[in-house]
Amino acid sequence: MLTRTGQDTAATGAAGPEAEERAVQRRIADLERRFGDPSDPDNPLGLAALLAADERGELLAEAEEMLTGFGLNAEFVPRALGGRLERVDTLGRVLRTVFRRDASLGLGYGVTSFLAAVAVWAAGTPEQRRRVADLLLGGGRLAIAYHELAHGNDFVRNEFRATPLADGSFVLDGAKQVINNVVRAEALVLFSRTSQEPGSRSHSVLLVEKDRLPDGGRRHLRYLPRYATVGVRGCQNAGVEFSGCPVGADALVGGPGDGVELALRSFQITRSVVPSMILGGGDTALRTAVGFALDRRLYNRSVLDIPHARATLVGAFVDLLVSDCLALAATRAVHLLPDQTSVYAAAVKYLLPKLLTETTYDLSIVLGANFYVRGGEYGAFQKHVRDLPMISLGHAGTAACQATIIPQLPRLARTAWDGGQPAPEALFRVRDPLPPLDPSLLGLVATGDGLACSLAGAADALAGRHAARAGEYAEALGALAGEMAAELRSLRDECAAMPARDRTVLANPRAYAIADRYALLLAAAACLGVWCGQEGDAPGAGGPSGFLASPVWPALALTRLARRLGRPLPKLPDGWEEHLLDEVLARFHEGRSYDLYDTPLAG
Amino acid sequence: MVAQQTGAQPPEPSAGRPPAAPDGPGAGWGPGAFADWLTARLAAFLQRPAGSIDPRTPFAEYGLDSVAALSLYGDIEEEFALYLEPTVAWDHPSVEALARHLADEYARRGPGAAHGPAEV
Repeated sequence: MLTRTGQDTAATGAAGPEAEERAVQRRIADLERRFGDPSDPDNPLGLAALLAADERGELLAEAEEMLTGFGLNAEFVPRALGGRLERVDTLGRVLRTVFRRDASLGLGYGVTSFLAAVAVWAAGTPEQRRRVADLLLGGGRLAIAYHELAHGNDFVRNEFRATPLADGSFVLDGAKQVINNVVRAEALVLFSRTSQEPGSRSHSVLLVEKDRLPDGGRRHLRYLPRYATVGVRGCQNAGVEFSGCPVGADALVGGPGDGVELALRSFQITRSVVPSMILGGGDTALRTAVGFALDRRLYNRSVLDIPHARATLVGAFVDLLVSDCLALAATRAVHLLPDQTSVYAAAVKYLLPKLLTETTYDLSIVLGANFYVRGGEYGAFQKHVRDLPMISLGHAGTAACQATIIPQLPRLARTAWDGGQPAPEALFRVRDPLPPLDPSLLGLVATGDGLACSLAGAADALAGRHAARAGEYAEALGALAGEMAAELRSLRDECAAMPARDRTVLANPRAYAIADRYALLLAAAACLGVWCGQEGDAPGAGGPSGFLASPVWPALALTRLARRLGRPLPKLPDGWEEHLLDEVLARFHEGRSYDLYDTPLAG
Repeated sequence: MVAQQTGAQPPEPSAGRPPAAPDGPGAGWGPGAFADWLTARLAAFLQRPAGSIDPRTPFAEYGLDSVAALSLYGDIEEEFALYLEPTVAWDHPSVEALARHLADEYARRGPGAAHGPAEV
């Protein structure tokens, strides 16, 4: 049943895994239906309307109204506070529906509200949590102001000041630039300097509600001009400047000086989930290219008959599956391995946008000159190309993510990779329930690495328990798993020899290459984990005979990762390309998503 | 760990492992010895001579970022089997402050006495 506001689909938790999965599927189907067929030129929420709004530098007003009617903000609010947020993997999955149409809408309507709210869910007082929940559930917005233009991801150097007074209240002074929704948001979550001492205990997070400022902020707050951006043009990024603005002691989120710690904890959730969301844009890029390849005739044949085009489409599909496996492991790790999430969140935020960008580039070659067209039926592709780097950069650049991974690797290499506990199977179960989300369990430093450790036994498991299902791919899969385990051993030796300097932001480029290889290994481990987990009957899945249970996609996924790692590649049995191309075309014609969930799409 | 030292001669970090036996925990390991070890560590991190590191200057002023500072706790754990919070170098943000804290902790509970991740 499709519900009008989506609110009554929230109460599902106690009814068992199947009911929980059905409720999520219903919610996504509801949102798909409200958006309608993107390719229908008469659809007021279709691609033509979204592209036109993008050209105007606006978010499509009708789409924002629809999302309010759906209650999208409830996805960002914990269930205990009246919302629908229970699982980080589900949040990413639902938001793909929005990002599939328009990244600006995904970011500008809601995601920045979530990024801001996470700090309040993690460390806010019951009163702050209540107020933020009420604001979001009422259709309001939060803006997140952590970074300052001059300091980038080095936000410990931020200068925006919240000077503490003797009574516990604060006076705000300074400017924050490029803040999404800063003008129209009802409240801001501000990362502020509360002590002049250098270091990591000198900043605090403040929740500033505009209607509680004296004069409604008219005297002490002014907005700086909007920034025009290359991508996500509809997003309203502007600056804000406070001068001598008093705020009460109750604005402080967490303790004084907790800002950096709170940010690093919150980032583990947001860095995990945002990459999962943007897979929706990758879906559209591939779908657009497939549509083009089917329609277009060149050299008196369909583009689909050109071997290079076929290989590119299949490769893009496999890369989307690889990305989703990593996104799945990272988002589920927030619940299952919170003491390890610190590196996984950074790894997925680093690798997934990079894979998507490269995939998109490959697909652009298939589109040829149509790649440059900003309107019409292929215009979505060009918009995706422009939006992707903007979303990738937002809130954690590539270098910042690598800088989180690198310092942790030597210790993980020494203490965790040899004989450590492999990740639980639940990490890879695509639709299974999860323990509750508890941000306080997220460790600032990873103390184990179950995902990497799962590589050690993977080749044996493939040769034993999973041999029958691997069939004629058993040899290739076993060889690939062996290569990955060997790569991890080689990485371990290199990490052990890593000079101390490489653990700081002054790291040698070689250290960055090690972080890249590590992220690729995590992706390989996630792919193997997902495939091995397909032997049972996951709720709502196709069962052991479904596409995900077949050994073809993991063989290709690992082959593509092994190629990136420069490892030897085994020969694959004939017929893999046809098998995967059939799936690509079936999902195109039947309107099913290019990810692990195989979600029915509208239009 | 091999550190590429430049300039002056900081003591080799692992050369300073405190004697867990026969003298017992804490013997001879006061703030001064911890300060020497930390200075050597910081010199390796920052690729600068140990002699140029002022014990009272905050780590952050030397460019040690928050995440790198977090990784110091792992070094402390491996060297001294002292299980501390990852944020220990944030809360005691200079050689002098951290050395004093380490000496106190070491004297108070000795190596390995505290709870913490025990895989070392």
